Amino acid sequence: MSHQLADASAIVGIGQTEFSKAAGRSETQLASEAIVAALDDAGLAPEEVDGLVSYTIDPVEETELVRSVGMQEIHFSSRVPYGGGGSQGVLLHAAAAVTAGVADVIVVYRAVKARSGERFGRASGGTRPTSAHSGSTAMQWCFPYGVLTPASWMSLNAVRYMHKSGATNEDFGRAVVQFRSFAARNPNAHFYEKPITLEEHQASRWIAEPAIRLFDCCQETDGAVAIVVTSAARASDSRQPVLISAAAGAAVFEEEIASNHYRPDLSVMDGSIAMGERLFGGFGISREDIDVALIYDAFSPIFLMQLEGLGFCEFGEAKDFIADGNIGPDGTLPCNTNGGLIGEGYIHGLNLSTEAVRQLRGDSCNQVPGASTALVGAGRTGVILRRP
Amino acid sequence: MCPWCHSFQFEITNLSGQGEVYSYSVLHHPQNPAFEYPVIAALIDLEEGVRVLSNLVDVDPEDVNIGMLVTVDFRPALHESQVPVFRPRSEVR
Repeated sequence: MSHQLADASAIVGIGQTEFSKAAGRSETQLASEAIVAALDDAGLAPEEVDGLVSYTIDPVEETELVRSVGMQEIHFSSRVPYGGGGSQGVLLHAAAAVTAGVADVIVVYRAVKARSGERFGRASGGTRPTSAHSGSTAMQWCFPYGVLTPASWMSLNAVRYMHKSGATNEDFGRAVVQFRSFAARNPNAHFYEKPITLEEHQASRWIAEPAIRLFDCCQETDGAVAIVVTSAARASDSRQPVLISAAAGAAVFEEEIASNHYRPDLSVMDGSIAMGERLFGGFGISREDIDVALIYDAFSPIFLMQLEGLGFCEFGEAKDFIADGNIGPDGTLPCNTNGGLIGEGYIHGLNLSTEAVRQLRGDSCNQVPGASTALVGAGRTGVILRRP
Repeated sequence: MCPWCHSFQFEITNLSGQGEVYSYSVLHHPQNPAFEYPVIAALIDLEEGVRVLSNLVDVDPEDVNIGMLVTVDFRPALHESQVPVFRPRSEVR
């Protein structure tokens, strides 16, 4: 018995702007450019779009986008909370909406000026009690103690993970070296043609010791990404559709996004575990079916924690899985082939989804030969995409 | 609201101020002028079963470890307020 959403919808277009440190134009313009590119890629006109899905923390107004791109009538719109951990939730929303028939063509988008605009990683200290619907209300208890940045919030979880699993910063570094190797062959990546060695990783300065060095952090980036979703039936005559074969979310009691400090066991990502069980539980797809995985890597420690949370490794074994070469181009589970958020740039995780699509189209800069099934996991939200 | 019984009633209780380090992190960058670096951030599991985020004081960063027993102290903050911080329990003031 398969899930109602299984293979019921498809991605028919992807688009993006350049990724940079200073876009020099508004988020609305960036989103508009990415959406037009995605619609061109899909072979669809703006007036065919009748749904919009983004994030609670995205700054672009739907009304402005409609006016800017020339959409005519929107029948469904929604925004996903939970910050980056919700980044694949937009595809769950879009898949559910087109499967329910409330919209035919949905554009999913994210536009951000995370470097030239408001930087997540700047230790400015907030006057806001929360981070504007990013799923981190306990953040207010961090600020009085100088715990001001995502790296500092997450390092507390990462150090507990290191304590329980035996993983070291060098183990995190092995993943980073692989991501940077992929990024080095991706012209869109911030670190294009800039691979690093493990020694260079270990020589980068501490951000939050003993878990996170500079090279363990994703790249604050300006840019936009858009994805066009429609029904599988309508997608069947499009040029290069990719099926949304599974989509899931799992927001767990007392689990926050960045300032997640109050779950009983912080060495595991409970949302990732629960989401993975749903993703591999009801859609008839097993972990062995996954040819390539894109896993949210705002910081390198959470990549290992999600490898385990998603069930690709037992607890504490991600470090050995990585050291054995499994996430590399010839491994059993090539991961973050665009370079990840650490190597390509941080467009909130939606640039992981587009890389999954490129892999299934055979268009990746680091193509996994014959890839037919791709997983994108971002903490508590995730999708599995397949070539038809 | 209490997520277990859905009551809105609560009372303020004194805590012992005794706990142990559940996790920690030594923060180096980026830096905010309001703090002295490195900042030692820590999650403290209090004896009463509550976890709080705080700073560790009177200890060298390299001597901090998970499971370290700590006790509360107070440091001045803005507007004549005080914030609770923690120091190793073995040290006598």
